[in-house]
Amino acid sequence: MATDPLLNLSGPAKPLKAEPPDAAESAGLLRTGRARLHDAANPALSLESRFDLAYNAAHALCLAALRRNGYRPSQRYIVFQVLPHTLGLGPEVWRVLDKCHNTRNLGEYEGLLDIDERLVASLIDAARLVDDALRRHGAD
Amino acid sequence: MTSTADALFPAVRQRVLAVLFGAPDRSFYANELIALARSGTGAVQRELASLLAAGLVTVRDQGNQKHYQANAASPVFAELRGLVLKTVGLADVLQAALAPLADQVAAAFVYGSVARQQDTAGSDVDVLIVSDALGYAEVFSALEGAAQTLGRTINPTLYTRAELARRRAQDNAFVTRVLAQPRIWLMGDEEVLRGD
Repeated sequence: MATDPLLNLSGPAKPLKAEPPDAAESAGLLRTGRARLHDAANPALSLESRFDLAYNAAHALCLAALRRNGYRPSQRYIVFQVLPHTLGLGPEVWRVLDKCHNTRNLGEYEGLLDIDERLVASLIDAARLVDDALRRHGAD
Repeated sequence: MTSTADALFPAVRQRVLAVLFGAPDRSFYANELIALARSGTGAVQRELASLLAAGLVTVRDQGNQKHYQANAASPVFAELRGLVLKTVGLADVLQAALAPLADQVAAAFVYGSVARQQDTAGSDVDVLIVSDALGYAEVFSALEGAAQTLGRTINPTLYTRAELARRRAQDNAFVTRVLAQPRIWLMGDEEVLRGD
């Protein structure tokens, strides 16, 4: 039997902990993620706000996917890196989100939010693909 | 066309050099090196013996394993590392990965710690790609195989020609810093950076 990559990543001093799924929590994450993803496409907002909304939408949706699999992260970045295991998504999604996570950290902690239209468009596309995959996995 | 690496080194030596000089701050045990070089045990051992004899590589015993490492004290270390990075150890791998997107790429180069040869095994490979059309999803898809081959995270940044020119005109901190540093060219040339 193949080893479970999520199980291998869980335990003390590892980035995941096993915790049974919680329907109310998942519903809340899906609701907030989808609301922010919708607003991220609003061209009246500044590019910085759209980036924040899309990044936080992606994080909430990826976290929902991980929680539905029965794990809780102890690091923010891990929810993006495990997308191949939680939703079967490839580098065209998770690498984009991982890059945006690093971009977000440079902005939040070092005041260097270096973003442009293309990065925000790629981020929104990736978050939408996460949402599509969640729906395919039965998260309405 | 014969590649630079093919003209200089036989195939197995290229792969051994790519592994050792691609990550010179770490050592590799023999079986690991043989697997990473995708070559036969005997062929790799012969290359290691001659690299050791020439002082280009060092070896030390760790438990019952021999650990091989690029010799940073060799008088030609920096030159050989530069050659490996510009060919089989990095640039060739990235060029091959980007080749399917070539008609949409005006220029692409490696910058940052790898291009400065100040990287560690954990350093990302920073790649700047000038393209008017590509999105991050396509670029990350194309680069994934190279990231696996190189065992490093590849961090692409995409600019359109217009954006690059605008940022240069505005003295954007990132672009100014990138353009002031050493580059390893993958596609295109300095022409694109001059803009106009």
